[in-house]
Amino acid sequence: MILTPKLTSLADVPYRSTLTALSGKVLCLHLTGEIVVNEVNFVRKCIATDTSQYDLWGKLICSNFKISFITDDPMPLQKFHYRNLLLGEHDVPLTCIEQIVTVNDHKRKQKVLGPNQKLKFNPTELIIYCKDFRIVRFRFDESGPESAKKVCLAIAHYSQPTDLQLLFAFEYVGKKYHNSASKVNGVSSGGGGVWSGAGSGSSQRTPLFETYSDWDREIKRTGASGWRVCSINEGYMISTCLPEYFVVPSSLADQDLKIFSPSFVGRRMPFWCWSHSNGSALVRMALIKDVLQQRKIDQRICNAITKSHPQRSDVYKSDLDKTLPNIQEIQAAFVKLKQLCVNEPFEETEEKWLSSLESTRWLEYVRAFLQHSAELVYILDSQRLSVVLQEEEGRDLSCLVASLVQVMMDPHFRTITGFQSLIQKEWVMVGYQFLDRCNHLKRSEKESPLFLLFLDTTWQLLEQYPAAFEFSETYLAVLCDSTRISLFGTFLFNSPHQRVKQSTEFAISKNIQLGDEKGLKFPSVWDWALQFTAKDRTLFHNPFYIGRSTPCVQNGSRKSFKRTKKSYSSTLRGMPSCLKNGIISDQELLPRRNSLILKLKTEPLQHTDSQNSGVDQYFKEWFSKPVNLHGIILPRLSGTHIKLWKLCYFRWVPEAQINLGGSIMAFHKLSLLADEVDMLGRMLRQHRSDPLEACYAELDQSRMYFRATGPHDTLGTPEFLSSSFPFSPVGNLCRRSILGTPLSKFLSGAKIWLSTETLANED
Amino acid sequence: MASASTSKCNSYALENESIKMVSQDGLSQDLSESVPQLPGEILITDKEVIYICPFNGPIKGRVYITNYRLYLRSLETDLRNLRFALKQEGHSRRDMFEILTRYAFPLAHSLPLFAFLNEEKFNVDGWTIYNPVEEYRRQGLPNHHWRITFINKCYELCDTYPAVLVVPYRTSDDDLRRVATFRSRNRIPVLSWIHPENKMVIMRCSQPLVGMSGKRNKDDEKYLDVIRETNRQISKLTIYDARPSVNAVANKATGGGYESDDAYHNAELSFLDIHNIHVMRESLKKVKDIVYPNIEESHWLSSLESTHWLEHIKLVLTGAIQVADKVSSGKSSVLVHCSDGWDRTAQLTSLAMLMLDSFYRSIEGFEILVQKEWISFGHKFASRIGHGDKNHADADRSPIFLQFIDCVWQMSKQFPTAFEFNECFLITILDHLYSCRFGTFLFNCESARERQKLTERTVSVWSLINSNKDKFKNPFYTKEINRVLYPVASMRHLELWVNYYIRWNPRIKQQQPNPVEQRYMELLALRDDYIKRLEELHLANSAKLSDPPASPSSPSQVMPHMQTHF
Repeated sequence: MILTPKLTSLADVPYRSTLTALSGKVLCLHLTGEIVVNEVNFVRKCIATDTSQYDLWGKLICSNFKISFITDDPMPLQKFHYRNLLLGEHDVPLTCIEQIVTVNDHKRKQKVLGPNQKLKFNPTELIIYCKDFRIVRFRFDESGPESAKKVCLAIAHYSQPTDLQLLFAFEYVGKKYHNSASKVNGVSSGGGGVWSGAGSGSSQRTPLFETYSDWDREIKRTGASGWRVCSINEGYMISTCLPEYFVVPSSLADQDLKIFSPSFVGRRMPFWCWSHSNGSALVRMALIKDVLQQRKIDQRICNAITKSHPQRSDVYKSDLDKTLPNIQEIQAAFVKLKQLCVNEPFEETEEKWLSSLESTRWLEYVRAFLQHSAELVYILDSQRLSVVLQEEEGRDLSCLVASLVQVMMDPHFRTITGFQSLIQKEWVMVGYQFLDRCNHLKRSEKESPLFLLFLDTTWQLLEQYPAAFEFSETYLAVLCDSTRISLFGTFLFNSPHQRVKQSTEFAISKNIQLGDEKGLKFPSVWDWALQFTAKDRTLFHNPFYIGRSTPCVQNGSRKSFKRTKKSYSSTLRGMPSCLKNGIISDQELLPRRNSLILKLKTEPLQHTDSQNSGVDQYFKEWFSKPVNLHGIILPRLSGTHIKLWKLCYFRWVPEAQINLGGSIMAFHKLSLLADEVDMLGRMLRQHRSDPLEACYAELDQSRMYFRATGPHDTLGTPEFLSSSFPFSPVGNLCRRSILGTPLSKFLSGAKIWLSTETLANED
Repeated sequence: MASASTSKCNSYALENESIKMVSQDGLSQDLSESVPQLPGEILITDKEVIYICPFNGPIKGRVYITNYRLYLRSLETDLRNLRFALKQEGHSRRDMFEILTRYAFPLAHSLPLFAFLNEEKFNVDGWTIYNPVEEYRRQGLPNHHWRITFINKCYELCDTYPAVLVVPYRTSDDDLRRVATFRSRNRIPVLSWIHPENKMVIMRCSQPLVGMSGKRNKDDEKYLDVIRETNRQISKLTIYDARPSVNAVANKATGGGYESDDAYHNAELSFLDIHNIHVMRESLKKVKDIVYPNIEESHWLSSLESTHWLEHIKLVLTGAIQVADKVSSGKSSVLVHCSDGWDRTAQLTSLAMLMLDSFYRSIEGFEILVQKEWISFGHKFASRIGHGDKNHADADRSPIFLQFIDCVWQMSKQFPTAFEFNECFLITILDHLYSCRFGTFLFNCESARERQKLTERTVSVWSLINSNKDKFKNPFYTKEINRVLYPVASMRHLELWVNYYIRWNPRIKQQQPNPVEQRYMELLALRDDYIKRLEELHLANSAKLSDPPASPSSPSQVMPHMQTHF
């Protein structure tokens, strides 16, 4: 039994070629540099709390990368073969562990295991709370008490390293360099960018914004004038939390910037993010801490930004610290959300579900960020003002707001490559503190799920405009999971400088010759082939997406989406003809001036000050027109529109799974059709070029996970589909019997559940 | 939106209203041209007004009252109809004209409902959709254990039941009459649905007349045992009393009650805790309060929770899941009742049947389900809706059927490919539940409809729907046989049906059409285009090569053909 039937070649995966046979039945794959620290046999993985009938027997292994559970029964529980190449079905990466609880039910003792702690009892049970909302529970009734204790302590020790360099990625990269000493790069994340390879046929390079040229290209792509790439931070000489290259107003000379820099928090000078085709720019800036200089510098900066605007428009400043929830509040909301989704017994939370969800404030914050970003879209697009996002350090809330504004405004960032480049540009390179915010080193006071919040807000837009995004919600969820795998340099550091500094130190200590390189090259998360097979990666593609070149038929005639670079301005909103249907056409025929929405001057709920009414008017006007999926998209913000991202938060909860249900059913159906259309399109092209020599090679390529086997596919729906797909809660802890009739979901049954909070205080 | 197609006209109709034709002829020619009218619809009066729109403030316009609808035309520059005006549930009509009251509540003024005046013609007759004998035959009935009886042919046994009933083969008509004496309003246990393989059945009835003294009836007890015995292997018949147990006990005071363990040894009774019509009515009123005219935004979720509407939906769905599960797993046949067996019972049997039998998930199947479990079995539509009746505080009114449709919508959300019909189908049904344009939902029971010769004098709503089926089709529908559909009846998945309850609020307006459906339709068109062009190219090539291949006759045959030839 080989766990990776879809694996085409081992070169795809960063595995050592030695596959270790375990239990005589199952092969356990180990990564380069991965070492088994401890293991224990005859362990029971609990599946339901009220019965042991479904429990799995196997071996629990702790390595320096993950916890593995190798079942005695080689049959996987998952009925489908979607899996992470780095992880087995029951594995948990160490960086995904949130809390480790050991229990001895005979002695009625339980303890939350911190690093380097002693355990005075032999655990009968181990509960792992994961950052991705999974809960895994093991019982040691039949295993040796000493070895059980050892494995628990090993997990506690290795999942809570005291130093960054103890994270597995360092070990992995170090070994890679040793193994391939002759090569310049151990792994495939060359400085020039990463081929995302999210799906076959459409691989594009993801710019990492590590180089001068990436920034320069972005300036040109947006058509910005009055902005230049600045190199004063080469070698991180000015600021250790800014990238080496960033974009500034052309009118600011390097010398000026050098003089101003000490006045900013973290020496973070203002830097450009994006420009609208109307010339308005989006700029991020830290606070000026030097009170005496404050006004003067501020003035200089604003003047420079104004000069960079073709209309010399004023600058609109948005103080994010004053208008949005702070990172602590966001973290608190997330903790409550997690508590609600995971820790509480399913049935007991049912009655008060809605109000409990509301009281977590998570959705309120989701909405606040969407709303604020949408208002900035108004400023940039309609007011034609440049916007400066101001935040104390300028490396938290502004990452989220800057990204969200760009997702709404620029269709490029709604493609896979564009979205990845956005994360590089607004998060990774400009010093979002992934190490602290993801809490890889378990120093919880700095933890905050801002990046997840960004993915959640993006999901809200995807949910509202399913045809506007090239990627699927699976992609977003997998991206979130990838922040919790300690292998990718992308989400490991607080800044690019930290990567260089730490890895150079590490290289020296390990005798690795770096040559000209600035630090070790870690694998990039955008190299998706490290985690998923080409087939599995097709699930990242959203079959509903209407790409720019996607042809489309209406009334028998074929039309292509064509747009010039500037057409994404809402003022030039062009309606692709194929999006029109009867109703919208009716509206289109009506003169705009007479539209209902425009007349709403007597709006009872209207804000009185002119700024707000302008926003309202802008939104109303925008919503009254048909959506141009290749232009600006704005979120609907009413309470009925902001939803909980169920795939992300419920996917591990067996009780919440809808078998053969959920939006995946429509996704599946549409994928089959899209695949068939692709196939027909290819046949048509081949037929045209040379009907006699048309080859079949191209026919095997598909963007779709679900493939059509022929026209009008009638093979039926795969029975493994569920609202959790492609994730599977099967094998995860359930507060009820999971198998059997749906009745068991609602009726009787005792529950024993330990909440993290009560445990935290016990010893 | 300014479409005057017949299918949209319902939207202008007033809630709970229908209007009579009067001989007075007050319509001028030009006006009748500008206001959309149905055949048989006549303008009664019109007047310039200022409409206080709850969303947009005052709007100058002209209001037209016909015998079918109240219609407001804005006089401000455009031809847009402000049709959201008066459609909201329970909207206060205090500033309406007296004439409106007359035509809005024709029954209170001895005027006929508009359905009797409607002269619309459709190319399909919706009245023929449901034939009980045919439907039972589809289920494989009669068989060795079950027979079709015409004992109620003239509605003598039970005046609120249909004429055709299915009962155990072993029970004689005389036995049935004796059982009827012990069941509230003579609504005896009869078969609603039989499982095609394990032969477990869903039975429906009203509560037994146990009373305070705990009366027993040997015939009723024996009858239930006969039902149980149609399946040899089961030891107990499951009885689901839809009510909360307290309510069931309280019903004893008025002569009702439930099947006690002592009297019914071979039955197992459970209560499903679904509340009565009054609770549901009040709950929906609260929903209205939080969405109209303004949506309660600051605490939307807790406001929604405080209406308990979704909680009631959850209980109804949970009950139906239990019925479906018992039957589908072959554990037991099920008898469902509440007090009278025409509200909660209809919800439970019809939802369970929808879960169990994929036939009912087709457009025609669903129409049959509604005709059968709701209309023919005497859900009191006239009383629950109050068609043409002015007494809107009537305690008999309750949105029970709406709640059922909401449950169906919840299921269709969870299983987007399982239903042939779309959301528009459900909304159209609900619009005509209130519009009185069609006869389908008029009157309380089959016997009354027969007396009124409803099928001759009115048009069925299914005529409208079936003559334009494409509009009501779900493009993602994947026909499945024998799949039991278990929705997850959890608050985590239940949602407020925004497109129905808040559809008149311009702020909530959803993307129309649904972008996902639209994308699918586009791809379908593209596929057909490609197939056509491939076919053409193929024909051209084969002509060139003078190699005559069999030319494909339909798109579905093209592909395999081409794969071998290209």
